[in-house]
Amino acid sequence: MTGFAAAVVEAWQELRIHKLRVLLSLIGVGVAVCSLTAAVAVGTIAQQGLVEQYEKESGRPAMYSMFAYNGETGTPPPRSVTNDVFDKTMKQFKISFHSMVGDASVTSKLGGKERQISVRIVEPPYADMFRLVPVQGRWLTAKDADNYSPAIVVDARFLKARGLGPGSLPATVKLQGDREVTATIVGQLPKDIYTGSPTVYMLPATYDRWFGTSQPLGDASYQMWVPVTGSKALSAAVRQQLRSQLPSLEVELQRIDYKAHGGGGQFREFKKVVGGIGLLILGLGALSLLNIALVTIKQRVREIGIRRSFGATSGRIFFSVMMESIVATLVAGVVGVIAAVGIVNSSFVHKHLFDNVTDVPGFPASAAVTGVLVSLAVGALAGLVPALVAVRVRIIDAIRF
Amino acid sequence: MTELLRLSDVTRTVHLPDESDLHILTGVNLSIASGDHIGIIGRSGSGKSTLLNLLGLLDKPTTGTIEWDGRDTRDLSSRQAARIRGRDVGFVFQQFNLLPGRTALDNVAAPLMYAPGRAFWNRREIAAEMLRRVGLAARVDSMPESLSGGEQQRVAIARALVRGPKVVLADEPTGALDVETGAEVMQMLDAVTYESGAALITITHDIAIAQMARQRFRLEGGKLLSVAEATP
Repeated sequence: MTGFAAAVVEAWQELRIHKLRVLLSLIGVGVAVCSLTAAVAVGTIAQQGLVEQYEKESGRPAMYSMFAYNGETGTPPPRSVTNDVFDKTMKQFKISFHSMVGDASVTSKLGGKERQISVRIVEPPYADMFRLVPVQGRWLTAKDADNYSPAIVVDARFLKARGLGPGSLPATVKLQGDREVTATIVGQLPKDIYTGSPTVYMLPATYDRWFGTSQPLGDASYQMWVPVTGSKALSAAVRQQLRSQLPSLEVELQRIDYKAHGGGGQFREFKKVVGGIGLLILGLGALSLLNIALVTIKQRVREIGIRRSFGATSGRIFFSVMMESIVATLVAGVVGVIAAVGIVNSSFVHKHLFDNVTDVPGFPASAAVTGVLVSLAVGALAGLVPALVAVRVRIIDAIRF
Repeated sequence: MTELLRLSDVTRTVHLPDESDLHILTGVNLSIASGDHIGIIGRSGSGKSTLLNLLGLLDKPTTGTIEWDGRDTRDLSSRQAARIRGRDVGFVFQQFNLLPGRTALDNVAAPLMYAPGRAFWNRREIAAEMLRRVGLAARVDSMPESLSGGEQQRVAIARALVRGPKVVLADEPTGALDVETGAEVMQMLDAVTYESGAALITITHDIAIAQMARQRFRLEGGKLLSVAEATP
């Protein structure tokens, strides 16, 4: 116990006395650990951004899509039939996140010319299921079905074509339905990178009421979002229930989110690349530390000889030099991690890197722990070579050095 | 008085790069007891420092035996030798060899970093007391470079004695000091060592310093020759 305490005290004294050298040599390590930690953290947050993109595209895991059709003709049944069955089944299995999804198109005069507008017909839970968060205004609610003006949510492309900007909602726009109707834009979503044309979202009841007579929605699917754990069994039970309720129809039910077919491998590749860059930076930092440590040991040969004359064993000298390196790099590592937390959490980085991430996770603890552990490992590795050199110093030569 | 060290027919030979052997010490016999003050005089290259290294367990003889407290040092592992060196041997070097960047107090406390238990935890108090004994109570916080040569050597003496060694080995302790300061430091070293009951072995090429010892030897051609016994 005394020996360990003495070695720590000794290492600390060395750091205190050679603070300028230590500071200079550790700047590299601190910067390297900061870079590695920041890279791991940014990687984790960027991964969250990627996940969100995937979830916006194909839904949050586990997302299932269901549709029914006539096995002989291949045509879908009237929605009035499937809607009821689907709603009842969802209630039966207590699944609260589910939505009908249909696609149609309408025309509208935007920017002085007639344009084709994609219409996505969905129910209120759809926003949570596909991570749709309005950047201004609000998402659709069930009450919007009763509005005298059809309530719509539009994407950024639509709003721009309409000549509107931030803070302009609610606003109105004329859409060509069964007759020309003035719709109210209640919310705006970010630009949808998966569709090329301006898109509007509306409730099924809204569509049926204002647009459905001239262009009845023929094809619609139903989607449900359920917990990943137990999703297979649940989906099988739902399928069975739907089939029993629709005996004359074929019912298809399939998982559609990005994890459906063992997805997520791209994240591992992404992490590997980010980690590889971080390790490269760290390696350079460690190399500079090792370089300085070796030069320093050469300069400290006499001191080591004097300590040996006091009775310091070679083990103690080894431990002392190692401890010095570890204590120093640990301090540099902690400083580096703190700096990384500050950088990654800065509003500048958030604005420029994570603008597309809805749920920006906090600074990942794993990145901080990785940074501290890596700094310890660098300290041990960079201390090993000088420690071995120090142990091999011949006492007599060292004192006369 | 208790015998601490016994050298019997000790030789030390080094193998040179041209394949020849250089016999630095041959047939050295010496017995050292607690309280002894032994002066060993010799010219440069006579093997004085080699003998000091052997006495301080920093080196091993080529042939012959060195017994430390009755134990053959050839049987000691480097760890055991280090432990004995830390506990029972104090070194005073010609160039002081104070640790740079540390105060006088830190320098004197340095050997206590390798001491067990209370000596380690109370190292600063013990070191301060030792500095007081060598007359440097007012310079505890001084850096080596701000001390005179005599003061630096007194710090080195305090450091050599701080763990209460049985043997103090002084290698040209006044070599870097002027005559007057050297004599003063040597008197102090003799007094403090005698007071603590340790044996003092001074290796020097200065006859005046050697004459302060109660037993004197001369190293000539690698052989240790006894000079007339001196009275304390």
